[in-house]
Amino acid sequence: MTISAFILKNALRNKRRALLSVSSVAASLFLLVTLQVALRELTQPPESSGAELRVAVRNKISLTNPLPARQRGVIERIPGVAGVTPFTWFGGKYKNEGGMTFAQFAIDPKALGTVFNDAKMDAAGYIAFNQQKDSCVIGKITAEKYGLKPGDRFSLESTVYPGSLTFRVAGIYSGTPDDRNMLFRQDYLDDSIGMPGYVGMWWLKVKSAAGMPRVIAAVNKAFENTSAEVRAESERAFQLGFISMLGNIKALVASLSTVVVFTLVLVSASTMSMAIRERFRELAILKALGFRRRELFAFILAESFGLAVAGAVIGIGAAYCLYTFGDISKMTHGIFVTFEVTPRIIGFSAMVAALLGIVSAIAPSLSVARMSVVNGLKTLD
Amino acid sequence: MAEPIVQIRNLSKIYQQGEINVTALDNISLDIAGAEFLTLMGPSGSGKSTLLHIIAGIDRPTSGECRVQNVDVTKLNESQLADWRNQNVGFIFQTFNLIPVLTAAENVELPLLLTQLSKKQRHNQVATALELVGLSDRSKHLPRQLSGGQEQRVAIARALVTDPALIVADEPTGNLDSHSAHEVLGVLQSLRRDAGKTIIMVTHDPKAAAFGTRQIHLEKGELS
Ligand SMILES: Nc1ncnc2c1ncn2[C@@H]1O[C@H](COP(=O)(O)OP(=O)(O)OP(=O)(O)O)[C@@H](O)[C@H]1O
Ligand SMILES: [Mg+2]
Repeated sequence: MTISAFILKNALRNKRRALLSVSSVAASLFLLVTLQVALRELTQPPESSGAELRVAVRNKISLTNPLPARQRGVIERIPGVAGVTPFTWFGGKYKNEGGMTFAQFAIDPKALGTVFNDAKMDAAGYIAFNQQKDSCVIGKITAEKYGLKPGDRFSLESTVYPGSLTFRVAGIYSGTPDDRNMLFRQDYLDDSIGMPGYVGMWWLKVKSAAGMPRVIAAVNKAFENTSAEVRAESERAFQLGFISMLGNIKALVASLSTVVVFTLVLVSASTMSMAIRERFRELAILKALGFRRRELFAFILAESFGLAVAGAVIGIGAAYCLYTFGDISKMTHGIFVTFEVTPRIIGFSAMVAALLGIVSAIAPSLSVARMSVVNGLKTLD
Repeated sequence: MAEPIVQIRNLSKIYQQGEINVTALDNISLDIAGAEFLTLMGPSGSGKSTLLHIIAGIDRPTSGECRVQNVDVTKLNESQLADWRNQNVGFIFQTFNLIPVLTAAENVELPLLLTQLSKKQRHNQVATALELVGLSDRSKHLPRQLSGGQEQRVAIARALVTDPALIVADEPTGNLDSHSAHEVLGVLQSLRRDAGKTIIMVTHDPKAAAFGTRQIHLEKGELS
């Protein structure tokens, strides 16, 4: 027999308890990983390629206030601007679905290949989108969800404008971090139920990342003291603006994680204390046989650590497999897209497990250290 | 008499219980020779276990000294004492105190895990110890698969596997029927006779005490 065999036999002597404590660690760490991944995705949405060259321009008062279409000419003349497109929220409901499951925006069809060039589509799609006024392009996820193919027609009832519009699918795009939006033509909106002369906001493409701050400043300045002052910002800053609205969710997720960890520590520490208390007399015998405190500490720590690590491997491993090989976008109906279990999150969770193993060993180790052999022998088993 | 293996001088143990002092051992002096089988008798509460615990280095006296093979065990610190116990004393308790998840052989091997012995050496020593107590054929049994007498003999094997000079036993036959008790006492007797071990045994049973080479009596913490 070796020392490690002895530790293993001790840890597994009550198989049901060992199984339950490993399972509780596994379940909690699975939850912890899930919460961390969700938090990361909420606070750091995946960045699309080309995001570092894009600028969002919206009404300074609020995102819901429209901007005059005539601003376009002014923006286009600002040096460093490579392309501009309107971007107007349609707020359409698909068929009789209650909520809105994908967003639709009216844009300049030429912008698809310039401002939003991370969206990839076959050439026929671009041609159709440029030629047919009532055409639209749809992200792959949404197209698959509703079974839409190029050439299909469908109607959306707007919650912003009066009435509904019928669209023809020109193409299906993919390649953005979240292929769900539908894009259609601003001129189609203007000429039907829209508000000609106004757009929701502008998206710009700048020529170089270095020129970005200058372009942003120039756009902001260009409309100062006009009836429609604007706020221009990088795509990242624009997204963060949305995320600050998620501040409460972030706090919620953080406090949930804390509760999970805290509960786990209490459960593991009490399980470990119980396991050791049951064996108090045996530990007294070991002391009598010449085992020193530090050896008994090592036994307790190894057992506690072993159980925590076994739970961690299962819990973190399960989360990793599920989120890496499972289709998270389908499972969450598109709420989460990448749901990436990063090395950092794995490291953090593993560290929580390691600390858990150590912390749970503290109380039993202390009581074993305080125990005199004579008193330990008197405890009943 | 040759140099005694245990020399006890003016040993006292007083428990403080709030206002009251309980004197468990009252100024005891005692010499125990090598290869002696000393039996310690006396009424309940007379201090037998306390004396045994101090000699074996698992309890400390309030005053006095206790030399075992010329080492004053009362002066050793916690960790030195642990080492000392491992090398110099074997314990046998009334309840057998085997580890339930370990086989007989593994229980006997436990004290050897603290030594530098190789796996093979450990196995040899375990086999020898089990043979001495007549349990070679039970080495793979778990404690619950053994009778009380067999469990106690495994405990004896564990006590002698490190080849200590001194074996202490606190009512080793207290939980056994007379047949098993006889077996256990026979083993202890042969350990003294054939291996030259010094044995100190606490017992309530005069018949058990008869197996020893010398009897002493404790009464209210004093030798009588
Ligand atoms: N931890 C303790 N605290 C206070 N008093 C104690 C403690 N341990 C023992 N005593 C007292 O010391 C005295 C001697 O106890 P000890 O256990 O040595 O007796 P004993 O002779 O072994 O008795 P028994 O035959 O019943 O085992 C008793 O009066 C007992 O009450
Ligand atoms: Mg006693």
